[in-house]
Amino acid sequence: MDVRIVDYESTSAAGVNIAALRESIQAQTSGLRLNDLSGSSLDTWIGRVSEVDDIQLGTWQSRNNALAALGLEQGTIKETMSRLIKRFSSARIGLVMGSSTSSIDRTESAYTELNSEGRLTKSYQQPLVHNPSAPSLFVAHYIGITGPALTINTACSSSAKVFATATRWLNSGIVDAVLVGGVDTLCLSVLHGFDSLQLVSPNPCKPFDQNREGINLGEAAGYAVLMRPEEAETDLDLLLSGYGESSDAHHMSHPHPDGLGAELSMTQALTMSGLEPSAIGYINLHGTSSRANDLIEGQLIERLFPKTTQCSSTKAWMGHTLGAAGITEGLIALDVLQTGVIPGSMNLENLDEQLNISIQAENKAAEVNHVMSNSFGFGGNNCTLLFSKVDNKNKGAV
Amino acid sequence: MSSNSFSCHVIGLGAWGDYFDSWDSLAELLKSNDAVPEKVSGPKPQIIPANERRRAPLPVRLAVESSWQASQMAQIDPKALSCVFVSGFGDTQLTDYMCKVLASESKALSPTKFHNSVHNAAAGYWTISTGCEQSANSVAGFNNSVSVTLLEGMLQCIEENKPILLTFFDAPVSQILTDIMGPGDSFSCSLVIVPEGFSNKPDDAKKITATLEYISCEWPALNTRSDVLEASYKSNPSSRILPLLELLTNESNSGAIRLPLSEQTTLSVLVD
Repeated sequence: MDVRIVDYESTSAAGVNIAALRESIQAQTSGLRLNDLSGSSLDTWIGRVSEVDDIQLGTWQSRNNALAALGLEQGTIKETMSRLIKRFSSARIGLVMGSSTSSIDRTESAYTELNSEGRLTKSYQQPLVHNPSAPSLFVAHYIGITGPALTINTACSSSAKVFATATRWLNSGIVDAVLVGGVDTLCLSVLHGFDSLQLVSPNPCKPFDQNREGINLGEAAGYAVLMRPEEAETDLDLLLSGYGESSDAHHMSHPHPDGLGAELSMTQALTMSGLEPSAIGYINLHGTSSRANDLIEGQLIERLFPKTTQCSSTKAWMGHTLGAAGITEGLIALDVLQTGVIPGSMNLENLDEQLNISIQAENKAAEVNHVMSNSFGFGGNNCTLLFSKVDNKNKGAV
Repeated sequence: MSSNSFSCHVIGLGAWGDYFDSWDSLAELLKSNDAVPEKVSGPKPQIIPANERRRAPLPVRLAVESSWQASQMAQIDPKALSCVFVSGFGDTQLTDYMCKVLASESKALSPTKFHNSVHNAAAGYWTISTGCEQSANSVAGFNNSVSVTLLEGMLQCIEENKPILLTFFDAPVSQILTDIMGPGDSFSCSLVIVPEGFSNKPDDAKKITATLEYISCEWPALNTRSDVLEASYKSNPSSRILPLLELLTNESNSGAIRLPLSEQTTLSVLVD
């Protein structure tokens, strides 16, 4: 398969845009801080995007929409979209957003300010905000997309799956370009929800470390513009070369002990791309820093890939951004094709004793042609993405 | 690049709501002139293991029950079905629970209720209960939840050439949110669709052809005389599948409807 990525941007605690993120990665500067989210005294570290705090959106107000808007203001995403709308018409542009919290942050706030009859006060009467498709409703409004729009809510795989849906829409010919995105914000539901599952770390997370203590939560927005190769107007020469989607069929909040569903999503993506495991130059692991995920995912990588395959989890830069993690980390992997810098697994000191994979704290320089990104979510929902450089001579995967 | 029309066959249907407990009883209600049907209680889908079933919220039980019925009618093992679950509201009872706890001093959430609060809880319970390792999607599209899910499901069926389970479900809205969402009701409907060339489809399987038009339209009026379905159609985002279901029960065995898909697109659906 061959779907072109003609533009992309990322906003997280590790950088308000992709340029700032590159600098953070290069310098190994983490965006994590001690929890200072308003209303929560939980003892943990978070990846908060402070630029969001002052954004006002009127009837669209929510922290999630504010972060979605901040993300759309970065780089050239808005210019790219207005050019495509002019070229194809707004009805021929699709929108697929991924999120797990949608705008639940706003509903949480509304419940702290109910009126004396226990009802929503006027400023919180926002039907377009208090619902699971709020991200696609808001982004369609903000960018002026009038074609098909959908929000995918499959927990932490949400914004990886947006690439699969966009591919199907483009291949069918119903649209000429698709804006895919992911946005999730820190809120009490996720901080105290993950705390109830005893998954939150009191210290900065250390994915794949023998002494990892759990996850740090973060927030992020990410976007990519996808097109069919024959119409793509870009010199980025980057393509989505495969995806895999699967289910664990095991448990709502524990991964399958043998990583069965994760294995399926990785092998599906490889099959779709026609690539051998040895062709993959870098894997951005889901790597939440939970005891269970990292061990199971690491053992699976050991089983499926050669020992030389470089891997890392980048969650120590911005935390686990949940429904935005799929696109945030997919774009970090994609960016390796451009920069030639493989991010290390920051904060890793001693690799889990049960694992033997090529993962280290330091960044590495390498010329890479194909990269993979894994995202696994509650409900046993898995998605793997494969990105490749375009070989102009062969017009396909290198 | 192909045209803007695409076709699938419907080989399984399932349904559960306040006044029906199967596809047959919903189809009958759509055609009936009887004024007041009997209310049903439940559902208690047996496919969910008893331990899990006790903890499964109402929207999950609605979705799993109608999904199971549709897969049975289609005679396809659920393990072989990729699925797309859609709910326009999400589980507002759990939203209400979470927001109330989080507005209190303790903020101590039940871990089970937290993991059940994800929008893909229904897809999760379904794949866990049936041992399905296929791709499972969970989506939302506000008032266009039905049309955009039909589009997504049909394109997945055709592009990936495999049978797909589509489940449209929503449950009554928690009290505080009724001011902005309306009351809602219990409604779930599932379709199993297969690509045109699918080998094991029954001879009388109805074909649905969807065409994307780049203009806006309004939701069509229902033909049914059932007041309870009419009320559901107005207050439940998932009940917007009813115009298509009317076509599927139509005695002339054919017909067409137009469903709003987005601000400037329409999904025209032909059944024959």
